[in-house]
Amino acid sequence: MSPLIKHRTKHRITRRQSLTLIGATLAAIALPTASLFANTAGMRQKAFAGTDKKLPVIGMGTWRTFNVGSDPKLLDARTEVVKAFFEHGGGLIDSSPMYGSAPDVMGYALQQLGTPESLFAAEKVWSPAGGSAREQVAELKDRWQVEHFDLVQVHNLTDWREHLAALQEMKAEGAIRHVGITTSHGRRHGEIEQIMTSEDIDFVQLTYNITHREAENRLLPLAEERGISVIANRPYDGGSLIKNLKRRDVPLPEWANEECGCTTWADFLLKFIISHPAITCAIPATTQVEHMRENMRAGHAPMPSPDARQRMAATIESL
Amino acid sequence: MNAWTSYRLKDFIPFTAEVYFRLLERMGETFWPLHLLTLALGAATLVLALKHRPRIACLLPAPLWAFVAVAFFFQRYAELNWAGGYVAYAFIAQAVLLVVMALTGWGMDNEPRATNPPVAIGIAITLFGLLIMPLMAPLSGGSWYQAEVFGIHADPTAVTTLGLVLIMLRGFALWIAVIIPALWLVVSGLTLQVLDSSGAAVLFGVLAIALVGLVWKSIESRR
Repeated sequence: MSPLIKHRTKHRITRRQSLTLIGATLAAIALPTASLFANTAGMRQKAFAGTDKKLPVIGMGTWRTFNVGSDPKLLDARTEVVKAFFEHGGGLIDSSPMYGSAPDVMGYALQQLGTPESLFAAEKVWSPAGGSAREQVAELKDRWQVEHFDLVQVHNLTDWREHLAALQEMKAEGAIRHVGITTSHGRRHGEIEQIMTSEDIDFVQLTYNITHREAENRLLPLAEERGISVIANRPYDGGSLIKNLKRRDVPLPEWANEECGCTTWADFLLKFIISHPAITCAIPATTQVEHMRENMRAGHAPMPSPDARQRMAATIESL
Repeated sequence: MNAWTSYRLKDFIPFTAEVYFRLLERMGETFWPLHLLTLALGAATLVLALKHRPRIACLLPAPLWAFVAVAFFFQRYAELNWAGGYVAYAFIAQAVLLVVMALTGWGMDNEPRATNPPVAIGIAITLFGLLIMPLMAPLSGGSWYQAEVFGIHADPTAVTTLGLVLIMLRGFALWIAVIIPALWLVVSGLTLQVLDSSGAAVLFGVLAIALVGLVWKSIESRR
C-alpha cells in the first residue's frame, strides 16, 4: 500500500466527526458573516505581551503579496485571502509603509468584509516613508480605515530611538496598544538584543524558520525572560523553502503526521516555528486562498514535542 | 551577520510577478487603441531619422516619454514601489532633454547610412522595440493587452529611443541621451530577473548590443 493510501485510510472520518462537521456547517450557514470571522475554534492561541489576551499562532504577512496597487481584479482576489484568513480564526495582520500599497489593500479588504473583532492590526513606522512616527501612524490608520492599531513597530530599526520614544508616548496616551521593533534575515541581532534588554517593548519581530534558527541562541531566551512577544517573519524563507520542497516532490515523513499531525509541508514548517515556546505567532504571506487555508490548518493541535522539533530540523538538514 | 551583505536583489522588488504583469496589462486595457498612434509616431520617427530630419525626429518621442512618466510611473507603478515617483521624474527629464536637443540641434550626426554598423545597430534596435517587443507577450501565451508598446510602456519606449539616438546623434550628446533609457533598462532587467521572467535576458541583450553601437560610433567619430 502506498504511503498516501495508508495515510488516507488511517484518517478516515468517523461517524462522530461527520456529525460534528455537519453540525458545524449548519451552524455556519445559520450565523451571520461577522460571526464566522469570530470563529477561532481549533486554532491554537498564545498569550502576548504580558497580558491575559491571546493571539492565534498563525498570523498573516503582506510583504509583496498585498502590494497590488489599484488593480480591481487583484484587490478582490486579496480580499478573498483575507476572508479565508478570518474564517479560519486568523488575528494578526502585519504590514508596513515600505510595502507599497499593502496598507491600502488591507483598507479595501476590511471595507468589503467588515472589520472582525479578532483583527490584531500590526503596522510599522519607517523613516524613508517620511514624516514623524505620529504622522505615519495617522496616515496608516486612514489607509487601513481602522480606528486604532494594536501594534506599531519600528521597521528594521530605522531611527529607532526617535521612533520608539514617540511610539511609547502614543501608547501612554492610548493611541496605540503595543509597541515593538522589527528586523529580518538575521540582521542586527546585537542591536536587537540591546534594545530588548534596555527598552520597554511589547513585541519583537524577527526571522525565525527551520533553516534560520540564529534567534534560538540569545534573542528567543531573552524574549521569554523579558516577557516580550515574538512574531516570526519569513517562515518559509521568503517562499523558497516550501517551493523547493514542493518542486522536488519531497515526501512528507510519515512520523510527522503521527507525532504532530502534519499532513502538508506547510504544517511541518509552520508547526516547527509556532511550537517554540518563545514564539507568539508566525506570519506567512500568500496570494492564494488555498495556501491561506493550508497555513491556517498548521495552527491546530497537535504540536511537535521538543524531540519532534529536533527531528524536524534534522530532516530538513538532511535534504 | 553583516547587514548590507545580507541584502539580495529580491529585497528591493516589493511586488510579485503577477502584480507587475497585471500592471502592464492594465496599461494596455486602459489606453487601447492609443497604441496605434504611438506606434505610428515611432515609425514616423524612424523614417525621419533615416531621412536626416533629426531635429523633428528628436521631438516626436518627447511627449511619449512624458506620457509614460505620468500614466505608467506616477499613476500606477508608484503605487507599488515608492521609488516609482523618482523614475517618473527621470522620464520627464528625458522628455525635456529630447525637446532641448530638437530645439538646439545639439549632437546631431551627419546623414545616416544604413550600411554604417552603428546606424545598422540603431535601426535593428528601433525595429525590435517597435515591432518585436509588442509581440513577445502574446507569442508567449499572454493576451494582446499584455503587449508592451512604444509610447505606452516603459521598456519598449526606452529600447526604441536607444535605437533612434544611435541613428541620429553623435559624440557627448549621444552618451547623454542614452543615460536614462539605459539606466531604466538595467532597473527593468533586474526587476524581471527577480520575477523569473525571460524578458530580463532580452533587455540585457539589447543593452549589450546598444553599447557596442555606442562605442563603435564614438571611436568612428574620433577618426
